[in-house]
Amino acid sequence: MGVPFKQIVVYLDGSESSMTAIMYGIKLAKEHDATLTAVYVVNTRALSELVKAGIFVAIERDEYQRDLQQDADRYLRHASRLATQKEVAIETIKLEGTVHVVMKELLKSQKADLLILGGITDIRSRREELASETDRMMRTSPCPVLVVRDDDDIWLEFEA
Amino acid sequence: MNVLDVLDRNLVKVPLMHTDKRGVISELVETVAKSKGYSTQQFEQILEAVLDRESLGSTGIGNGIAIPHAKTDVVNHVTMVVGISRFPVDFDSPDNQKSRIFFLVLAPQKEASAHVELLASIARSCTSQVFRRMLEQSRDSEEVVRLFME
Repeated sequence: MGVPFKQIVVYLDGSESSMTAIMYGIKLAKEHDATLTAVYVVNTRALSELVKAGIFVAIERDEYQRDLQQDADRYLRHASRLATQKEVAIETIKLEGTVHVVMKELLKSQKADLLILGGITDIRSRREELASETDRMMRTSPCPVLVVRDDDDIWLEFEA
Repeated sequence: MNVLDVLDRNLVKVPLMHTDKRGVISELVETVAKSKGYSTQQFEQILEAVLDRESLGSTGIGNGIAIPHAKTDVVNHVTMVVGISRFPVDFDSPDNQKSRIFFLVLAPQKEASAHVELLASIARSCTSQVFRRMLEQSRDSEEVVRLFME
């Protein structure tokens, strides 16, 4: 059991709450002198589902795939900037596939001892339950998971 | 990002008044334009983006559902309008079934991930035949919102 944590992985999805998670991860990595990794998964499964469902035409899928890659690069660059700001070393990784599946593999290969996630939304309907990739990741993670609440205090403290 | 993150009672139109594809798209765009206070020019920009996308291939996906969508920087964030029609509308769906349930999805360029996630969430939400039937039979926007919240 890795306490204090030595291999921290933060999952980014571009949401505000995942940005809060990376800030928290940076602070935690600094305090624990841990290795920090930020991961963004380009959700190619969702793209395939949309083509299969007839919502996307092929040309559109390719265009969105490029957009998603750009999103990934942008958020990972932002994570790097934040870490540099706090003088914390960070590795950024961009993956593709089904989010919770590739994340599980990555956590194993990195021998991560902590996964940090942004907000888990309240379950607001039966249909929504377990549909969220963040929820699935939390349930399938091979290592302990820390869920960061989307809290203004974390932003204020980080920026202080 | 899923349907409940963007579902807004003010962006649900029941029933839609138009009975043709172009009219329905225009009515859905008008719903968001009115709610957000967009200018005529912004309304036309959105409409053009949605019709441009439609020209690549119909967004009627079968089972009585159509999901017209487009990228447009007129909206600041991913936005969804739900429309229910009393009359089946020919949306050139692959199963030749006419549509009564419509989701207009608009997203700015910078929110590609959220856009994709929302479209996937809509597709998942509408897999149940019972749910689709209940949506088709909903009387007003309150009922549509309640159905999604159940």
